[in-house]
Amino acid sequence: MPEDRVPGDPSTTDAAQDSSTGSPGLTERQAALLLRMLRVAYPHPDFPDAPYERTAKAVQEAGLTDSVLLDGLDDLDARADGDFLALDDQRATAVLEQIDTTDFFRRVHATTVVALYDDHEVWDLLGYEGSSFEKGGYLERGFDDLDWLPRPRIEEYEGEPRVELVTDESAS
Amino acid sequence: MDTEVADLGIDIPESEAAVVIIGSGAGGGTVAHELATRGIRCVVLEAGPYLTADDYENDEWAAFNQMAWLDMRTTSGSWRVATDFPNLPTWIVKAVGGSTTHWSGATPRFMAHEFRARSTYGEVDGASLLDWPIGLDDLAPYYDKAEMAIGSTHRHGRKPQPASNNYFVFANGAERAGYKYYATGPYGTNAEPYDGRPASIQDGFNFQGDKQRSKWSTRVREIPRAVASGNCDLRPSSQAVKITHDSAGKVDGVEYVDAGGNLHKQAARVVCVAGNSIESPRLLLMSASSLHPDGLANSSGQVGCNYMRHTTGSAYATFEQPVRMYRGETMAGIIADEAKHDTSRGFAGGYYMETLALGPAFLASFIEPGEWGRPFTQKMEAYAHTAGMWIVGEDMPQTSNRITLNTEVKDQLGLPVPDVHFDDHPNDTAMRSHGYRAADAIYGAVGALSVHHTPPYPSTHNLGTCRMSARPEDGVVDGWGRTHDVPNLFVSDGSVMTTGGAANPTMTIVALAIRQAEHIAGELAAGRL
Repeated sequence: MPEDRVPGDPSTTDAAQDSSTGSPGLTERQAALLLRMLRVAYPHPDFPDAPYERTAKAVQEAGLTDSVLLDGLDDLDARADGDFLALDDQRATAVLEQIDTTDFFRRVHATTVVALYDDHEVWDLLGYEGSSFEKGGYLERGFDDLDWLPRPRIEEYEGEPRVELVTDESAS
Repeated sequence: MDTEVADLGIDIPESEAAVVIIGSGAGGGTVAHELATRGIRCVVLEAGPYLTADDYENDEWAAFNQMAWLDMRTTSGSWRVATDFPNLPTWIVKAVGGSTTHWSGATPRFMAHEFRARSTYGEVDGASLLDWPIGLDDLAPYYDKAEMAIGSTHRHGRKPQPASNNYFVFANGAERAGYKYYATGPYGTNAEPYDGRPASIQDGFNFQGDKQRSKWSTRVREIPRAVASGNCDLRPSSQAVKITHDSAGKVDGVEYVDAGGNLHKQAARVVCVAGNSIESPRLLLMSASSLHPDGLANSSGQVGCNYMRHTTGSAYATFEQPVRMYRGETMAGIIADEAKHDTSRGFAGGYYMETLALGPAFLASFIEPGEWGRPFTQKMEAYAHTAGMWIVGEDMPQTSNRITLNTEVKDQLGLPVPDVHFDDHPNDTAMRSHGYRAADAIYGAVGALSVHHTPPYPSTHNLGTCRMSARPEDGVVDGWGRTHDVPNLFVSDGSVMTTGGAANPTMTIVALAIRQAEHIAGELAAGRL
C-alpha cells in the first residue's frame, strides 16, 4: 500500500489534523491491522481496497475515543505471535473468532456494516442503483424486466372466497 | 415538481381550550382532519419536524437519520431486538405525518373473527386475550372511508399496482406452492392519479418518505387539509410531556416543550393522544397526579401493558438469475392464504406474506444482525439476485409485555425514557416458524438457491398498550377510544387495539380514528363533552 494512502497515517487523517475530534491517532502498524481485520472479517475477494479504506476511516471517526480501538488492534498481533498481518485468511479468521464477542469487535462491526455497505462504490459492485426519483423512477428503467418467470396475475383471486376461519366443523 | 410549503395554519392562543391532538400520524392526523373540517378548532402537537417531499432523502441511512424516532429508549425481555438493537426497539417516524411517512402501504382489513380473539381462540396459556368491544360491522363503513382516503388499490374500482421484479418471484412462487389469494394489493399508493396526487413511478423508496407523493400519508392529505380548513394550529417540534387535569378529574391542558427547549401549556377541552404505542402510554404514565397516582387513566393498571408488535420475520432468497428487488413499489405484493385462523397448523391466528426489499445499506445491518465473515458477505454479494418477503401476523397479547418508565435513564429533556419489555409467546414462535417454511416452499418452487430466515426488525407495528375493553377493569379505553377514567381524554392510535389481528395496522388505525372523530364531533355538538 502506498505511503500516502495509509488511512491512519497522522499526515493524512482528518483526526490527526483536528485533534479536537478526540479520535485516537493510529500508528502505521495499527492502521494496517485495521485494514487487514476489515478485509478478513468482511471478505469480498473482488472488492478493491478503497471501500475498506473509507470504512477504516469511519471506524476511526466513530467515537472510539478511549483505548478500545488501539488496544483491540494491538491485541490482534498479540494473538498471532506478534504478527497478525502474516497470517493467511483462515488463520486470521480464527483469531477474529476468538474476539468476536468483545466490545472492540462489536464496535468495529457496528460501524462497518453501516459504512461499508453505504459506500456508493460498493453499491456499484453489488449491482445496486440507489436513488431513482431524479431519473423518473424505475418505471421505464426495468422495475418489471425480470424475464425468467412468466408475468403473474396482479388482480385478486376471483374464484371462491377465501376461508378466514377454519372451525372443527368446517375442517371435517 | 413544485416546492411544497409547510403551512402551519392558524394561531390558536394557549389560553383557548381547544381540542389538543398529540401526534400527527395515522391516528392523530386523521382525527385532526375530521374535526377541523367540521369546524372544530384543533391544536396538533407533533414531536418531530415538518419534512416535505423536497426534504425526503432517497438514501436509507440518510433518511433514517432524518426521520426515525431516535430518542433514547431501553429494552428488556427475551426478544432478539433487545440484544441486537438494545436502544432501538422500534422503527417509527418522528416528523409531521408520523409513521405514515415511512409506512409500506399494505392495507388489508381485519377479519370478523379477529375482533373476537378470546372467544375464537379460547384460553391461550400466558396470553391476555380479550374480545374487542366493537366488531367488524361497526368498523366496516369506516374501512370504506379509510380506503377512499388512502386510495387503496384493488378497492372501490381502483386499478392494481403493476408487477415488480420482486413480485414476479413472489407471485409465481405462491402459485406453484398452491396459494391462490395473492395480488399486488390492496396497497396505499396510487397506481394511477388519484385524489390530486400522481401515480407511482416505481422509484423504490417509500420507507424513506415518498418524493413522488403517490403514497398516501397524513402528511400529504389529512394534515394539509386540516390546516387549510382554517381551524387547525399545527405545531411541529413540540414534544408533549404532561397532560394536566382539573379538580373534577377532566383533562384541561397539555404541557409541551418546543424546539428551543421552552415549556408551554396549551389549554384543552378535549385531548386525543396519538403518539404511537410507546409514547402514548409513556405520556399517560408521566402524567400521574394525586388523583391518578399510577398514571393518568390507569385505574385498571393496564396502561402500557399488552404491548404487541406483530409476529414478524423476513425471508431473503437467492437465485441463479437476477431479481433486482429494489426496483419498484416495496410492498405491492401480498399473499393472504395463511391469514386464516386454523389451529391444525399448531397456532392461533394467522399471518400475511408481503413483498419486501431493502437496499444493501439496510440489508447489511438487518439480514442477520451480528454475522460477519464469508457467510455474511456471500449474502451481500447475492444482492442483485435476491428476492425478499416479510411475514406479518397476529401476536399474543401478554400482560407482562409492557412499556414502563425507566427512571434510571433520562432523555434529552431529563424525563424518564420508556423501557420496552417483550418476550415472544410460544404461539408467536410457532407462527414465525410456519411462515419461514411457507417462504421456503414459495421460493423453492421457483428455484431458489438458498432462503435465509431473517429475524424480526425493530418494531414497526406497535399496538395494544392502551387497549379497548368493554369493562373498565380490563383495559384503558372504551369502544370509541375514550378513556374509561377521564371523560374528555381519548386515545387515537394503535395503542387502542385490543388484539393485533394479522393485518398491517394503519388501515385499521385510520378507520378507528375517523369513527372516533365523528363521535367526538357529535358529543361536542350535543354539549356532552
